[in-house]
Amino acid sequence: MIRTRRNARRPLAVASVGVAGALVLSACSADTSSPDSTAAPEWEYTAQTAAPSGDLDSFSWVSYSEPSSLDYAYAFDYADNQVLSNVCESLLRLGPDYTLSPGLAEAFEHPTPETWVYTIRDGVTFHDGTPLTAADVVASMSRHLDPEVGSSWYSVYQNVAAIEQTGDRQVTVTMRQADSQFNLAMGSSAGVVESAATLAEKGADYGNSSGLVNCTGPFELTEWQSGESVTLTRYDGYWDESLRARAGEVDIHFMTDPNARVNALKSGEVDGGWMIPADAIAQLQDSGKGDMYFGLNTAVGSLVVSNLEGPLGDGRVRRALLMAMDRQGILDAAAKGYGEVTDALTTESVWVGASDEALKEAFDGLEEYPYDIEAAKKLIEEAGVAGEEIVIATAPISNDFAVISQGAAAAAQSIGLEATIETVSPSAYTALFSDPSAREGIDLFYTSWYLSSPDPLEMYGVLRTGEFSNYGNWSDPEFDALVNEAVAIDDPAARSEVTARAQRIANEQLPWLPLFQGPMTLFLGERVTGVAPSVAFMYYPWAATIGSR
Amino acid sequence: MIAVRRIAGKLGGLLLTLFLASVLVFFSRFLVPGDPVSFLLRGRKPSPEAVAQITAQYGLDLPPWQQYLNWVAGLLQGDLGRSLQYRQDVTVVLGERLPVTLGLVVMAGTTIAVVGLIAGAIAALHRGRLADRSILIGLTVLGAIPSFVGSIVLIAVFAVQLGWFPSFGSGEGFWDTVYHLVLPSIALAIVFVVLVGKVTRSSMIDQLDREHVEVAISRGIKRGTVIRRHVFRNAVGPILTVSGMLVAGLLVASSIVEAAFGLAGMGSLLVQSVDRLDFPVVQAIVLLVVTAFVLVNAVVDVLEPWIDPRSAAGAGAR
Repeated sequence: MIRTRRNARRPLAVASVGVAGALVLSACSADTSSPDSTAAPEWEYTAQTAAPSGDLDSFSWVSYSEPSSLDYAYAFDYADNQVLSNVCESLLRLGPDYTLSPGLAEAFEHPTPETWVYTIRDGVTFHDGTPLTAADVVASMSRHLDPEVGSSWYSVYQNVAAIEQTGDRQVTVTMRQADSQFNLAMGSSAGVVESAATLAEKGADYGNSSGLVNCTGPFELTEWQSGESVTLTRYDGYWDESLRARAGEVDIHFMTDPNARVNALKSGEVDGGWMIPADAIAQLQDSGKGDMYFGLNTAVGSLVVSNLEGPLGDGRVRRALLMAMDRQGILDAAAKGYGEVTDALTTESVWVGASDEALKEAFDGLEEYPYDIEAAKKLIEEAGVAGEEIVIATAPISNDFAVISQGAAAAAQSIGLEATIETVSPSAYTALFSDPSAREGIDLFYTSWYLSSPDPLEMYGVLRTGEFSNYGNWSDPEFDALVNEAVAIDDPAARSEVTARAQRIANEQLPWLPLFQGPMTLFLGERVTGVAPSVAFMYYPWAATIGSR
Repeated sequence: MIAVRRIAGKLGGLLLTLFLASVLVFFSRFLVPGDPVSFLLRGRKPSPEAVAQITAQYGLDLPPWQQYLNWVAGLLQGDLGRSLQYRQDVTVVLGERLPVTLGLVVMAGTTIAVVGLIAGAIAALHRGRLADRSILIGLTVLGAIPSFVGSIVLIAVFAVQLGWFPSFGSGEGFWDTVYHLVLPSIALAIVFVVLVGKVTRSSMIDQLDREHVEVAISRGIKRGTVIRRHVFRNAVGPILTVSGMLVAGLLVASSIVEAAFGLAGMGSLLVQSVDRLDFPVVQAIVLLVVTAFVLVNAVVDVLEPWIDPRSAAGAGAR
């Protein structure tokens, strides 16, 4: 069979990518460094838009892509999760501020480092009216371990030894080793509970456009018009009065073409959308058809160093390259100035429960990599790699990909390296994230990496030796030891202190080159309001809180 | 008898074409670099057993010839396989998209035929005069507008500015669908109108210059009758041939228009599926387009002698 260099699907991948987000995000705020950053746009974070004045019969929404599946086992990307989050619920609930609270599990205990015991909430019903039971939880979670399913969330379950019903309303998960990250992921799609009967009945069609789903969320998935839209209908039997849907119906339309999306918003044909293309923000603000909002995000745009055999294997070269990049300028060009340059691979937003010391250690006095060509050239000389070549992969996904790859190439050339940009198809780009053979001959590629749990360790776990997403096979024994130590610590504050030390190592060693972080963007038309513009929209029932202005 | 033999011969050729197309369509996927399994993983960490399971589920572990035989066997039973990206039967995926594309093609096709024929006929009858020249210039200008530009302009003016038409979606129910497809079908028709218009014009001029037409006119037969009975009828052949090719062209070109208008048709599905290495869907669509093309041309072939008696006498008589 064929092997590959091109491959699979749109970007995104794995927490990977904001490719999608890339369409959108980020860029600088008013900042000192580059004097020519002419039009740094004004924007501020919004935690919550104005409360709605009342309920709505229906509203419409636009998404950049159709979900490939609404089976929670495969819901792994913005497009899938922004629909699913309104329909299906998890054991825990990830709030817009990225904190976890009880969800379908009204409580959980952690009696030994290896066991998690969930008490299943009483009085919850699935959309077909049947009550939620512990058996449904066991069946739903067990699918992640079934090779025939091939769950996208397998990595969350990789240390799980057993999932058993241990009481009338109790489910116990036993781990092979202490793993604080397992429970933290129960607020994401990895913790979704579906009716066991529905899973058995739908079989292979579960979660596709004819099989649909049967969950417990504030909305029921009532129609999936393949290629065009899904319709969510308020579920009247929903258990949580505080999140009862304010709209009777929501239509989410899929439009892959960014112009089509912006036109639909500008003409008022749809009421809102997440992740607005950066170059459309000003247009929408001027359209008078609604408001732009900027909210909490967890994504950091960075360059993945995918080959440590080449010149970038030398830490000095990685540092030099980062210093040779005018990150503020790149940010301005790639994301129209929405965001800020960062030297860390995590955003502060995921350091929920961190101690003050940890935050200080993690973010204050990080190694900075100011734009300094001369210093960078010196490092290149020291390393003795002048004239060597690096290959930067890019794809025609959105404008920022072009800007960033060209920025990186120009930076490399400015310090005496040779740089080649290799443009591949979007699907081939996605393959970079899953297929080592696709990465052969590629030294660098861009990603906007978001986290699905309120813990920075999710990011650093990925960079341990031998991890699937450690694309450059970077290895640092001290870093591995710290991350492993942190994973086993249950207390978030204590854990954060160890993670902070791991972040420092990543900041010094630069297995990936951090570029910038930007806000989540949201557009609300003139009819609707009442939502938190947070990246938690992937796991939190955001549509339920939207009502009329 | 001759007609029956002719049709039988055509049918044989048709089946042979389809068979060859199926071989080409199926095996060409092995020339494309890319591994469907890593598509299915989408960058996620799989459990080691899951990779093997997924490979086996989609039959990707079998040798290519066996995959082909399974595919053809499925085809004959109406089973087009399973879409990798939608985790659903290809027949269902296509079934949901086909109506949109057919609607679009029918509306665009009608527009093309009506506008193209009228414009071409008027131009031919006014050869060299102002009407002819303005139509030629008009057609040339239209022909230079790619469908994506046409789409952008139509949306900007008629959907966003004036708000007369929706900017996306295919609507529900018959009239709503027609309403939703007005702008897309115009965007799609633009380029092809030129082709039909120009062919109609030159084909009619060709006939107008024929001796029998001149003779008929000199005999005092009414001009309208001559044009209808001699010129137009004889000119239809080339127009029909071009129209046959248009069908395939429309099916393929619809992808751009569908993307611009957010329509869930086969064209946009094809583009997406190629991008995502969704081979079963790509193969099904390509085969469908080839089949439509071959069938339409076969129908044109059969119709032609019936419309134009000269060609029934055999090509040699021309």
